[in-house]
Amino acid sequence: MKKYMIGRVIAACVALFLILTIAFMVVRLMPGSVYDDPNLAPEVVAMLEQQAHLDEPLLVQYAYFLKGVIFENDWGVSAKVEPGVPAFDILKRQIPYSLTINVGSLALALPIGIVAGTVAALHKNKAGDHVVSILVVLGISIPSFVFASCLQYFIAYKMGWFPIIFEPSKGTGMQIYSLMLPTIALSLSPIATIARYLRGELIEVLGSEFMVLARTKGLTQRQATIRHSFRNASLPLVNIVIPMFAHVLAGSMVIERIFSIPGVGGTLISSINTNDYSLAVATLIFYALISVLTSFVIDIVLGLIDPRVRLGGSSK
Amino acid sequence: MMTEKEIYDIPQEKFRFINLDDTLHDEKFSGEALGFFKDAWVRLRRNRVAILAMSMILFIVFMSIFAPMFSGYGYNDQNLNRLNMPPRVPGLEKIGIFDGSKTVNSVRKTSLSDPEKFPEGSVIEILREYTIKDVEMVDVKVNAYIYEGIGDEYFLMGTDYLGRDLWTRLWRGARISLIIAIVAVSANIFIGVVYGAVAGYYGGTTDIIMMRITEIIAAFPQVIVATLLILVLGTGIEAIILALVINGWIGTAKLVRGQFLRFKEREYVLAARTLGVPDKKLIFRHILPNSIGPVITRAMISVPNAIFSESFLAFIGLGLQAPEPSIGVLLSDAQKVLLTYPTQTLFPAILISVLLISFNLFGNGLRDAFDPTMRGTD
Repeated sequence: MKKYMIGRVIAACVALFLILTIAFMVVRLMPGSVYDDPNLAPEVVAMLEQQAHLDEPLLVQYAYFLKGVIFENDWGVSAKVEPGVPAFDILKRQIPYSLTINVGSLALALPIGIVAGTVAALHKNKAGDHVVSILVVLGISIPSFVFASCLQYFIAYKMGWFPIIFEPSKGTGMQIYSLMLPTIALSLSPIATIARYLRGELIEVLGSEFMVLARTKGLTQRQATIRHSFRNASLPLVNIVIPMFAHVLAGSMVIERIFSIPGVGGTLISSINTNDYSLAVATLIFYALISVLTSFVIDIVLGLIDPRVRLGGSSK
Repeated sequence: MMTEKEIYDIPQEKFRFINLDDTLHDEKFSGEALGFFKDAWVRLRRNRVAILAMSMILFIVFMSIFAPMFSGYGYNDQNLNRLNMPPRVPGLEKIGIFDGSKTVNSVRKTSLSDPEKFPEGSVIEILREYTIKDVEMVDVKVNAYIYEGIGDEYFLMGTDYLGRDLWTRLWRGARISLIIAIVAVSANIFIGVVYGAVAGYYGGTTDIIMMRITEIIAAFPQVIVATLLILVLGTGIEAIILALVINGWIGTAKLVRGQFLRFKEREYVLAARTLGVPDKKLIFRHILPNSIGPVITRAMISVPNAIFSESFLAFIGLGLQAPEPSIGVLLSDAQKVLLTYPTQTLFPAILISVLLISFNLFGNGLRDAFDPTMRGTD
């Protein structure tokens, strides 16, 4: 297990380093400069560029960048989006908003998805199952931004039950209240995925022999389901719930835009559109970090659950 | 005893047929043998949902090819006299849906009788009357087409912020979204099949190296890769397709590799190899057809994902270059005016939802048809 974990840590570090390098190179090689404002005198531009080491060869810039990131937690300074503010501080301010709606939507999706999946499996091929199946197809097919637009128009604008966009100024309660619609919009696809997956797993487990045994020894169907099949069916859920986190985070970029939430997604978009190198690289790395972390966590959890994985079963 | 030579030299006349007059007790095959695809088609045809989904897809494809040609408007015909027109559909307008009406708020009541401002027949209904500082004001529902002086035009889905016909743009957008999705998925499937086949067939070190490479590529989150790529290449169709391909093929490669690992040790492969069949033929003629069902199913399921990704990129500002529409670009533009002109969001939203639902349902149907043991597992 130790050897397996060390291997995974090294793999995650290598992936992160590669992403760091590629993101840096790509963003720096993009046409256009941060300081291509025609109102600035050439000397000023030269000075600014010198300050940001932009006049040095690319490799030297890269060395500066790595040194800053690794040793000084210095991710560079935003040049356009919020001039003069360290990229790290901008992200630090925005990450809570992004995380709130992401974690919130998963927290909402898990119980609902599990209940829906269980209902469908227990009522296989009956009305309950069919209703869940239809909802699952809708949830999986319809993009979250379509849901978001619908909720925003009907629930927030027509009904007036929720704020239309994020309300930053009226205290924490109001902030959370205005984050509820985006959270719901984001949670629909995970709900459908979890329900579909759990239904499949449960049906398989419910048909297995130890369930017959459990019933023979006198448990009711309900007891047997909860004690025996449920545990077996929910272990593989780990497989889909953890990667969902990275997936939802990407999806939230659009949702953040629709509901004007000051999250990381909006920063990525505006920093790319304004050639704000440092901020763009920092944001990209944030996303990459989350993604690499989730796949690392999956590997570890699967290794813990299933010995075959960590012993390196090459063929499946 | 015969010697070896005698055995070889038995003359022809000594052979005679036996059993010629016996009756055979085998049953004759009744009906004709079904091929793989025919068999699947028979099963698919019985699945009403899948057939409905398939018809829906064909309808959308048909419309996306022909609707822009016959709409009478170009997808980029801008006209500042007809900005953000509401939809008006012949026939339906008589029963009050999509009748080209819009609400004009806060106008002086006296101006209603001024034909300069409100041409004859433009006012449909007075919604609210009130007075502000002794001036009688009204909110009125007007026929926007007469009100704006456009007259007898019909924009089935209205126009956008540049006065472009949204019906034409929607179907042209659907066309481009479908092209992007289909090209990207075909490329993914092609690369994935070849890559997975080679890795799975040769196994050993080749397999380990090839699978390590996919692991490294898969470690890059798709959004990040797509963002970086489009930043470098600019926002063209090619860049978007490439962004969808660059790590989209890995799933197919893994699927095909798995199938190869399952089938390459089978006796029939051994038999073929004993007969001297070359590797290339073994891979593509003998083993690959086993995975054709799952691969086609996967392709069908990947199409909606590609359409979704394209819209997603459009939403975060990495969509196609204007003025070319795609469903994502339309949705993204419409989102900005959602609260004032909801119909601009409505139609693209319905289209993308129907398209994605249809592809998913059809994909499920195909999977059941190719592999009936998977039925109901969803």
